[in-house]
Amino acid sequence: MRNGTEREAVSEQIISVARLRSGYGGGDILRDISFDLSAGEILAILGKNGMGKSTLLKTIMGFVKPKSGSIKLRGVDVTNAEPHWIARRSIAYTPQEFAIFRELTVEENLRLGVESDSLLKQRLGDVRDAFPRMTERMSQRAGTLSGGEQKMLLLCRAIVSRPDIMLIDEISEGLQPTMIERMAEILRTARSKGVAILLIEQNLNFALSIADRFAILKIGEIVESGRFEGRDTAGKLEKHLRI
Amino acid sequence: MTALFLDIVTTSAILFIVAAGLMIILGVMKLINFAHGAFLTVGGYSAYIVTDYGFSPWLTVPFAAFVGFVLGIAVERLVVRPLYSRPLDAILATWGLGIVITQIIVFAFGRGVQFAESPMSGTLEIFAVGYSAWRLTLVLVAVLLGVGLTALLYLTRFGLNARAVIMNEDLARGLGIDSVKVRVSTFGLGAALACGAGALITPLLSIDPNMGLPWLVNSFMLVLVSGVAIPGLALASLLLGGAQVVVSTFVSPILGGVTIVVFAAILLRIRPKGLFGG
Amino acid sequence: MADSYASSTARNRRRFWLVGLVGLIALTTVMIAPYFLDRYLVNVLIRALFLAVLAITVDLVWGFAGILTFGQSAFFGIGAYACALVATHYGFGPYWFFGAFLIGLAAAALTAWLVGVLSFYHGASPLYSSIITLALPIVLVQIIFAGGRFTGSSSGISGFPTYYWAVETWFVIAGVMLVVIGCFAWLFVRSDLGRILVAIRENEDRCAYLGIPVSRIKIALFTACGSIGAAAGFGYAAFTNVVAPELGGFLLGTESLIWVALGGRGTLIGPIFGAIGIDVTSSYLSGTLPFLWKFIVGVLFVIVIVLLPNGFASLVTGAWRKFGPKRRSADANDERASHSILLRPAPTVTRLGSNGEKPIIIEGLGCRYGSLSVLGDLSFEGRPGELLSIVGPNGAGKTTLMRCISNGSERTAGTVRIAGNEIAKRSPEKVVGLGVGRSFQNTSLFDSLTVGDCLRLSRYRIDGARLLRRTHHVALPKPALGILEATGLDKHLDQETRYLSHGQKRGLELAMVLATEPSVLLLDEPTAGLTKTERTAIGDVLLSLTNSYGLCVILIEHDLDFVRQISDRIVVLHEGRMVLDGSVEEVVSSDLVKSVYSGHAAEVA
Repeated sequence: MRNGTEREAVSEQIISVARLRSGYGGGDILRDISFDLSAGEILAILGKNGMGKSTLLKTIMGFVKPKSGSIKLRGVDVTNAEPHWIARRSIAYTPQEFAIFRELTVEENLRLGVESDSLLKQRLGDVRDAFPRMTERMSQRAGTLSGGEQKMLLLCRAIVSRPDIMLIDEISEGLQPTMIERMAEILRTARSKGVAILLIEQNLNFALSIADRFAILKIGEIVESGRFEGRDTAGKLEKHLRI
Repeated sequence: MTALFLDIVTTSAILFIVAAGLMIILGVMKLINFAHGAFLTVGGYSAYIVTDYGFSPWLTVPFAAFVGFVLGIAVERLVVRPLYSRPLDAILATWGLGIVITQIIVFAFGRGVQFAESPMSGTLEIFAVGYSAWRLTLVLVAVLLGVGLTALLYLTRFGLNARAVIMNEDLARGLGIDSVKVRVSTFGLGAALACGAGALITPLLSIDPNMGLPWLVNSFMLVLVSGVAIPGLALASLLLGGAQVVVSTFVSPILGGVTIVVFAAILLRIRPKGLFGG
Repeated sequence: MADSYASSTARNRRRFWLVGLVGLIALTTVMIAPYFLDRYLVNVLIRALFLAVLAITVDLVWGFAGILTFGQSAFFGIGAYACALVATHYGFGPYWFFGAFLIGLAAAALTAWLVGVLSFYHGASPLYSSIITLALPIVLVQIIFAGGRFTGSSSGISGFPTYYWAVETWFVIAGVMLVVIGCFAWLFVRSDLGRILVAIRENEDRCAYLGIPVSRIKIALFTACGSIGAAAGFGYAAFTNVVAPELGGFLLGTESLIWVALGGRGTLIGPIFGAIGIDVTSSYLSGTLPFLWKFIVGVLFVIVIVLLPNGFASLVTGAWRKFGPKRRSADANDERASHSILLRPAPTVTRLGSNGEKPIIIEGLGCRYGSLSVLGDLSFEGRPGELLSIVGPNGAGKTTLMRCISNGSERTAGTVRIAGNEIAKRSPEKVVGLGVGRSFQNTSLFDSLTVGDCLRLSRYRIDGARLLRRTHHVALPKPALGILEATGLDKHLDQETRYLSHGQKRGLELAMVLATEPSVLLLDEPTAGLTKTERTAIGDVLLSLTNSYGLCVILIEHDLDFVRQISDRIVVLHEGRMVLDGSVEEVVSSDLVKSVYSGHAAEVA
């Protein structure tokens, strides 16, 4: 599916972050972050808590205004854009916390992922392929789903919008291994369709199983990055990530 | 007894209609619109204009609602938007706006009292008692309004967007919902409802530049007690409106005037989030 | 040291003399003005002067303390009606007059106290207190209406017995009241307690966590302002010889807000001139252009709230700052001289381990919100001189744990004992009194206060605060002094905190918490947003707090390297429960902890 010529053809940088600096109030959480991401590629951002991973996604989505640096999505500068405008540029964001509307039904949550309700009907197939059980729970209130099912709903909502870019924040947290494997399959399928995925993870195993490249965030800076090359990489990374 | 029952039901209906616009604004925008009383007055005068120019009294409410919508959009842009992060100041600014609107009305129409033709007059026989037909109609209007708002909120995409913004504005924005547009539309709708309500109550009382003022504080209290939910508002209107009628009838009309305010203050101390909130 | 005391008292005395001089000038103006102004204007001014006193009370409550109040007019009305009712129904004469005055003051004070107790409790929303102040004049007016012939109902009472003194005399009375109240208010807002009001307005929560009894202060202020408002209303009624329900109503209440907003909230002078200016102009224009004037005032009000929240006084001070450079620098030196704080070490209170009790013992602590259990069955203890770190993935309940320790009403199960004392359901300020100090994740301090002001108000619980004076020396415990020196803040005591860097704000916050002399220190992510050097610095500070000063420090942290370097013990939380409580080596080498943190990373390699 991916060979050298295809990779050259799809060399357009879907996400391009340069010298990004941002934070809340006086302090800086992110200092001098730069990276690129192409279509059909999964980049795993690793690092311990509090090092800026979530802030990175929030800055890209426009919830935190960068203090300096730039963000480009498909060549378009979105550094100071509003979140709702960015969200409509075929980008799906799954936050780590408060990611679904617990008071709304599964169906209503999914509807919010697409522009019009008729589109959802057409794309229900996507949901069924990803997670068949979700289609049985359409009129259930999202808050009554189990933790794992809520994460699945989150991913379904992202999938159903058929984005070109996905920003995923620790979606495997607290999930059973079988579900994690299912999610890995879904993300691999998305990648094969050309989606660029930025994956925030603390679960090194999960990241290893699907990501092409990695970058380790420490106190707001990327201290190490590269391609995943088998179990050696894993050993090298462990020392950065252990408690 | 029947008359008392009808008084309670109709008074509750009227309170519900008047407070509905304030509630939507508070729910979606988390703001108190203290120009609400002035909007009611604008609605009353819109009704007056319509009948004064010889049009059918049934057109007063739609016209008033239209005027309210336009006014609401303008007010949101100029006065309310800069104050999203300062809710207490928003109360003051909208109050000031209310003064400005009132003075414009005085300038245009004078201080005197006006009357608008009522779409429906006379009484209806109900439960062997003759009762004001218009008041009874307002009960129907209140029910339709409640049902209509609920439908808007739960059956339309706009309603879904609005509910998303109410629950978690950031998450809604992250899903592509332009929360500013939602706020503008909501304020327009709230203002339209307020003006419409003003037109609806003119057959019951006269029209003067300060007619909206007594309703402002009562609406405000009802909305807070309601916990910002449509069923909550209906319940609050029934409970507190009923209390007002009972006190007015059996104790004194003057104390009846403050019943809602006093009971609401006590209720909110016990349950700060209102009857349905939290 | 004797020097600093002497100079401090000297500075206060200088301020008193200055205020006295200004007051004297004002009084002289008041005495001679009636002979230069026409009679109508004098009449109008007398009423405006009484209303200006009302404006001062609104500025104190709203401009300085941040309590949006629609109802100060109710107290004005109570004072006015006290005058009219006693004179009409009971009697008139020097003793009656004075008695009526006292009755007015007492009734207003009682009402204000009740309103305060009802609406200023910890955790009350500001909206609720505004609602109550809104309801107050409405209810009062209805009571007046219901009073029938006794109160004159809607038409009011006129022509009741009063002192029909010459207009000049009344002018002097009103003017004296305004000048005296104004001078006292001026001294009050510049004093220690006045600074605390500003702190309450800017960040009420943090004040509570510094041990400041916020509710009590608000209630006391509200009660005092109620009485002052009543005094003004009494004078107004005695002069005009007419009382009507409008004097205590909602409209006058909102008008008073308009005067203060336009004049400049939190400036005292602004509201005084705002009230006088608007009221006098209204009197002249209400005959000719009634709605145009009201319209203009309304428009100005909206513009001011939206664009110029600090009123026209801010334009004046802004212009002064721009166009008076030379004079400013000279004044600035004087200002700094008169405001600069001297720091000195506080006599240490050896609370630490003095009675052999452990600084903190937590047993069976639980916290549920409805059906959601955030914390369950937590038990651990802290020892003196120990640095205990609490770690765990997001959502493990760490911040909730801090809240449950510092606020007695948060937890739903279990006990927390500080030096042997159970915190029960105590509010934060009382828990601070037991010896708990808490710092927050965000660095919101008090933007418009100086570093020195912040430090001084942190000492409230131990050193109190002066009502009319400003203390120029702050006694701080050694650890706090150490931090100030380390961050260089001791050279910037007159800097407003909004200009400090992030690291400096963290340092100041820590110094402020230490100033309350806690035995247990709770720190919520103290290294968030700090650079590597700043992290090392704060690590050293925390180590010295435990090693040299024997405090028990409990820290929530995500930076696990930091935690590993400085902790004595680590408690690991996961989904609200304790996974492990042990030494650094035990926790670092634990497989259980690894799996909690990195999902299945333990399975790799």
